Amino acid sequence: MGIRVSNLIKVYGQTTIVHGISFDVADGEFVTLLGPSGCGKTTTLRCIAGLERTNGGIIEIDGRVVSQPETDIFIAPHERDLGMVFQSYAIWPHMSVAENVAFPLLARNVDSATIPDAVAWALDVVGLSSLAARQPSELSGGQQQRVALARAIVGKPKVLLFDEPLSNLDARLRDRTRAEISRIQKELAIPAVYVTHDQAEALSMSDRVIVMDAGHIVEEGQPRALYRRPTKRFTADFIGAANFLTLTCRNQQWFAPDGSSITLAQPVSGKDGEQRTAILRAEDLRLQARSAAMQSDRINTLSGVIEHIQYMGPHIEYSVKVQDTTLNVLDQIEFTRDDPVLVTFNPTDLHLLPNT
Amino acid sequence: MTGLKNYAPRKTKNMNSERHISTPQQPTALAPIFRNASIFDSGRLLGTIYLVTFFIVAALVAIPLLALLYGSLRSAAPGQAGEWTLRNWEGLFSSGVLGTFYTTILIGVASAVIAAVVGTAIALIVHRTDFRKGNAVTALVSLSFFLPSFILAMAWIIIGSPGGLINGVLESLFGSDTWKVDAYTKSGMVFVTVLHQIPFVYLMMRGPILGIDATFEEAARAAGASPFSVLRRITLPLLGFSITSSLVLTFILSIEQFAIPALMGIPGRISVLATQLYLLVQFPPPDYGLAAAIGLTLSALTGGAIWLQRRIARSNRLTVTTGKAGRLTLIELGKWRWAANTLCWGYILCALILPVIILAYVSVLKYFSANPFEGAYTWRNYLFLFESDATLRSFWNTLIVSGLGALLGVGLASFISYFTLRHRPPGYRTLDFIASLPFGVPGVVIGLGLLWAYAYLPLPIYGTLSILVISFITRFLSYATETVGGRMIQIDKSLEEAAWTAGATRLQGIKRILVPLAMPSLQGAYFLLFMAFFREIASAVLLYTASTSVLSTSIWSFFEQANWGLASSLSLVGMVVVFIAMYLLMLITNHRPSMKLLDRSKTPAVK
Repeated sequence: MGIRVSNLIKVYGQTTIVHGISFDVADGEFVTLLGPSGCGKTTTLRCIAGLERTNGGIIEIDGRVVSQPETDIFIAPHERDLGMVFQSYAIWPHMSVAENVAFPLLARNVDSATIPDAVAWALDVVGLSSLAARQPSELSGGQQQRVALARAIVGKPKVLLFDEPLSNLDARLRDRTRAEISRIQKELAIPAVYVTHDQAEALSMSDRVIVMDAGHIVEEGQPRALYRRPTKRFTADFIGAANFLTLTCRNQQWFAPDGSSITLAQPVSGKDGEQRTAILRAEDLRLQARSAAMQSDRINTLSGVIEHIQYMGPHIEYSVKVQDTTLNVLDQIEFTRDDPVLVTFNPTDLHLLPNT
Repeated sequence: MTGLKNYAPRKTKNMNSERHISTPQQPTALAPIFRNASIFDSGRLLGTIYLVTFFIVAALVAIPLLALLYGSLRSAAPGQAGEWTLRNWEGLFSSGVLGTFYTTILIGVASAVIAAVVGTAIALIVHRTDFRKGNAVTALVSLSFFLPSFILAMAWIIIGSPGGLINGVLESLFGSDTWKVDAYTKSGMVFVTVLHQIPFVYLMMRGPILGIDATFEEAARAAGASPFSVLRRITLPLLGFSITSSLVLTFILSIEQFAIPALMGIPGRISVLATQLYLLVQFPPPDYGLAAAIGLTLSALTGGAIWLQRRIARSNRLTVTTGKAGRLTLIELGKWRWAANTLCWGYILCALILPVIILAYVSVLKYFSANPFEGAYTWRNYLFLFESDATLRSFWNTLIVSGLGALLGVGLASFISYFTLRHRPPGYRTLDFIASLPFGVPGVVIGLGLLWAYAYLPLPIYGTLSILVISFITRFLSYATETVGGRMIQIDKSLEEAAWTAGATRLQGIKRILVPLAMPSLQGAYFLLFMAFFREIASAVLLYTASTSVLSTSIWSFFEQANWGLASSLSLVGMVVVFIAMYLLMLITNHRPSMKLLDRSKTPAVK
């Protein structure tokens, strides 16, 4: 069951927004569509919801085909049994909280005797039981958001859809609500598709992340795998702060741009002169003061100069100039501008991107 | 229609059922499949409503206009045998018509300029200076907005005509050889037109004036400019586009005017296009064909001006509307306070207070006399109203035409707004265009068009109230559409989408979400139409008969018979009745109509 998207194509006028993407969401799974603005993630979500008509491909929800333009199948949104949370919450201002939450049940002609209990349950899950009679104008942004969430789950829908629901909240509220959404989804075990451009949300909430760019799926996988061992440069760049180092192979040994030797966790073979891109996460790099007398042939060590410093609180963010590249390093040691430093890392922290 | 096929297979068109194991489908065609959206995509009922709305609007607009076109090319009166001819169009270039054209433009421009200047001045005084009692002025100016033009003209004729009050007073003071005023002149017409248009300018300029970003002016003050300097160099230039826009709009309204030029111009042998059309139809020998040609020309003129005004309004990027009106620093009037007071209160006096007093005075006179102490007083003008079947019938007719007509008009406007702004089925752009056409057509032209049309169409509505309702709705539909539409645009789409994803059909979404949220504007549009219908004389004057007379036409005919007493009494009683009706409506619907509807800067967006 869950959701299955096959070869989804969406065109606006002359522009193709989504270029035939395919992915699945298993029952109870939380999948995030992650990508920069304009990558087609919101469009994909709206196609699943039925708010947009597709130009090609098949969408199935809970085993039922809801959209297949080739055979003229299109099931309207109100028949797809969804729960959707919008970026603007879309809480109806002329109804109270309870009426907002009850709406999906009324619209689907559920037995009216059961409605008050269902509404009470939904409000309880999101922690708003005491606000049932309030008007939306009396609620804060975070509370409105939770009303939207309660409204989405009250009907025990087949799928949950989230369209960047946290982007209008302040940072603290965002962290708290993130955890709540995650918890609720896990408890109810409803397959969920979550759209965001924020990688922190994607990593912390998802069972699987699908990275999108310009209407294509770049890569998908579990958060840890995508973070530690991405297979595409775009993924590495988009998730977390990554440094890219071009390594050159000579005699089955890999060398950094400055000529120093790089030891990998596992030997990787290559032809002479072959180049590979290595990813080093900023937090995996260590800084040491460099004195002129130090030997320069230590392994996994690069020489550089501090260029820019930003104090972030839990750590300090450094820009270190190493030959032609600039590396971002997060460390706690204090340095000042123009200090000569050595940048070191563990072999296990270096990840080679596959050959394209 | 392919659309119907989409609607049918709700449940089981899908070949692979529950245990769907997805096999990779055969690759879709290389080119994306384009689907032609169909009118019935969102359901049969909605699709049918759309088609019906489209048809009604097209009929309302096309019938009078096409009839006019036809009539302008015919040599005989509507309904009589004739032949095709270009004589009518050639007649446009006769000296008589050209002279009228010139007069129309002259009066139009003069009225527009003066009204724009004075109206803007009053708005600035009230909202940007330390003028006191600004709220009172706003309320009274809004009240003047509702005073029908023909009543205003009547009052000033009574005051300023050769046999009127001013001359009566001058004569008794200085003898009969003294200088007289004459309302039946171009200046008289311009004066009254200006009085009539100022509320419009005032209400239109309020929004932009209040909406100027305070920081623009604050920066000027910080740079050393005095308040007057700020007004001259910052505020007025920022308002430039709005002023120009309201100038063009006022020009349009001035050349469309019928009642004022008819009452004040005809006796003085001054013709504008609207009254010339009327004269050609009402007085022998009638020339319906030439009237039709003139009508179309006048519509072209107003239509062109509207297009111009829309261009100006669209390129207006200068006023940044914020909600921070409270931060605007007020200019101190100081020694200019007397001038400001004279202007504001003087206007209210001339436009509202004086006319009402004069009408009240004349309504209780036995015979007209400029000297209240010499007058003989009587209640007979009021008694007559209640004893006259004809008058009572016209009250009743007014309530039906205004009350019911406004309801139909708002209903139609709501459908139009919904289909052109939110649903957007195929053909919605055409609907939008057609619905906006009558805005540029003067009332008397619509009346003439319907006169021509129903001489030929088989529907037996000529001489009934229905034709009046049709005429009024055609004339004012765009007002209602703008009001409702302006609100509908602000209702965020996600509110409807949330309803759909929660399981509501499109119709349910409209009923439960869109209508409640748009209700204030629906009510506002109803009041707008109600008042507009009640005041309207131009679209009715060619179409009414003795039994389908409404208040405006009854007052009109009393005045035409030189029965100032009855005309005044009916005017006052009529206005009281209408205000009572509106008040009752307000109580029932629990809604207070405000001028905010004209004030775009104030309506908040609904998120």
